[in-house]
Amino acid sequence: MSLVLAAPAAARLECAMVVGAEIVAGHDGAAELLVRLRHENGVEAPVVLDPATGFGVMEAAGVSRLDDLVGRRWLDILREL
Amino acid sequence: MFDVLIRGGLVVDGSGAPGRVADVAVNEGRIVAVEPHIDGGARRTLEAAGRVVSPGFIDPHTHFDVQLLWDGAAKPALEHGVTAVVPGNCSLSLAPLKAKDRAALVGMFQQIEELPPAAFTEAFEWTWEDFAGYRAAVEPGLQVNVAPLVGHSLIRLWVMGADANRRAATADEISAMQDLLRASLDAGAVGLSTSFIDVDENGRPVPSRFAPFSELDALAAVLGERGERMLQVVPEFYDTDITIARIDQLADLSLRHGIPTTFSPVFDSRLTPDNVPRTMARVEEQFARGARVWPQMQTRPIDISFSLLRPSLFFGRLPRWVRVLRQPLETRLASLRDPSVTDRMLADCGPDGGAAMMSELVVRGGDAAPAALVGMTLGEIARQRDESCARALINLSLEHGLDVAFVAASRGHDDTGRIGPMLAHPLMHIGASDGGAHLASFATYGDTGYLFSEFVRKAGALTLEAAVKKITSDTAQIWGLKDRGRLARGQAADVVVFDPATIGRGEERPEFDMPGDGMRYVRDAIGVDAVVVNGQIVREGGRYTDARPGEFCGVS
Repeated sequence: MSLVLAAPAAARLECAMVVGAEIVAGHDGAAELLVRLRHENGVEAPVVLDPATGFGVMEAAGVSRLDDLVGRRWLDILREL
Repeated sequence: MFDVLIRGGLVVDGSGAPGRVADVAVNEGRIVAVEPHIDGGARRTLEAAGRVVSPGFIDPHTHFDVQLLWDGAAKPALEHGVTAVVPGNCSLSLAPLKAKDRAALVGMFQQIEELPPAAFTEAFEWTWEDFAGYRAAVEPGLQVNVAPLVGHSLIRLWVMGADANRRAATADEISAMQDLLRASLDAGAVGLSTSFIDVDENGRPVPSRFAPFSELDALAAVLGERGERMLQVVPEFYDTDITIARIDQLADLSLRHGIPTTFSPVFDSRLTPDNVPRTMARVEEQFARGARVWPQMQTRPIDISFSLLRPSLFFGRLPRWVRVLRQPLETRLASLRDPSVTDRMLADCGPDGGAAMMSELVVRGGDAAPAALVGMTLGEIARQRDESCARALINLSLEHGLDVAFVAASRGHDDTGRIGPMLAHPLMHIGASDGGAHLASFATYGDTGYLFSEFVRKAGALTLEAAVKKITSDTAQIWGLKDRGRLARGQAADVVVFDPATIGRGEERPEFDMPGDGMRYVRDAIGVDAVVVNGQIVREGGRYTDARPGEFCGVS
């Protein structure tokens, strides 16, 4: 399923890059995926994903190792979801 | 003649004042004297020399709604010194609820609490629909005091039926919700809970999430009208910016309606180190405006648990493991039995055979794992089996149908040096235990013991007196619980006697005491000698008594 983003949202994400990906402990005891994004203005912000979404992001990015998410454009990954 | 006399303990009265050696006398459910020496006999005397005598602890975030129907002690919370619990959090309570909507609620509760289905069919009889009926069903058997919230999702479900999680409410429906909230508060609820994140068993948002802010505003008006009743909220805690926006919303409600509000959870993380500082900065700003927005933080670290029955991101750095564990079960089993596959999986783990990543994993029990292995580390098991850690994990799982649960302890919210000062912050409300929830995932008991063992004794982040104050009088004051949280004349006689040198929490262990032989993880209390509720001894010498003195807490 491809993701359709409204133009302003797409513009905001156009330059967001993945600069880190870590396994974190979720509130319910499940491992979750924290992806750290760096936006065009230099601000870094985390996105926390549940296991199913986390695996979906890895699949969409075509990677099977978390560290390989680093350096990828976030919008490109979202479009493959 | 007193009912109970507690002699010679270090009285830490909940005010934050330094402890002092004194006697505590109790009559007819109330503390009648706290003096250096009290003359007079007593029906029961507890010798407390060398022990701390403090107010009973209050747990402000639990999901004991269902368990209280067959277990009035909310075990094992009471044996940890908890004498009052707040159930009904996160928009979910057991009333008000029409009979036709019971199945819908059971699904939501099972999703959150992980209670076995038998808990709803074998353990109690549904005798109520409204909140007063729930109170009548639960109160006679109580050993612990209860200060329940009424759930926003329940109120929506009652008024809107199946539309509760489909659309916004009409003006007439909001008015009906207000009336229902009034009736619930008048029947003993201390406030309202709502959630912006929870889902039901099908992954659908719970009804409260379909409410526009105007609906919450209308319900908050009732909380103010009935006298500063609490609004509890679960915000989008995984995103600091959204949490801050929610803090601002709660502050507006607090100021507009003169009510206290609280939100949870608030977690610290190495990967989002600015989360708590930014959250607290906004909380401080809003308190400076006169709003009451209390963040709740739990004391215990967060663990990661998993088995090979389901794919876990725990293996996110091991690409072949990810690929195998995402296969359908039968295919996955075949792969794990295929040496050509597992050899490559093991190669992923590096030359140490996965020791660095996996040796500290602990076998949890409560599943198909042999009892003898429960509590052992994978490193110990691997040595016994003369296998690498990764090989032992795969083989042990295969030998038991993959139904072997492992826990990676303290993988989040675990930096004592950072969290200690956060807990000590005057605006941080210690709570968020989730007692009675997540039964099959982890133990939600013993957070109070951990506060003393980790943050008082080990780290020195709080004094004994400050820690007691945080989980007694502070909590009572935040929630407006009448005559609770202090050891002073006229207060309700909720008392815990504990050893300050040893109070703590036991190791997590499986316990099969849920209806239908359901399993949950628990932690035993350490260092708690006696617990008194409303002047009656309910726990002494490691045993529960037959007394049932618990009651619904009044609000001031």
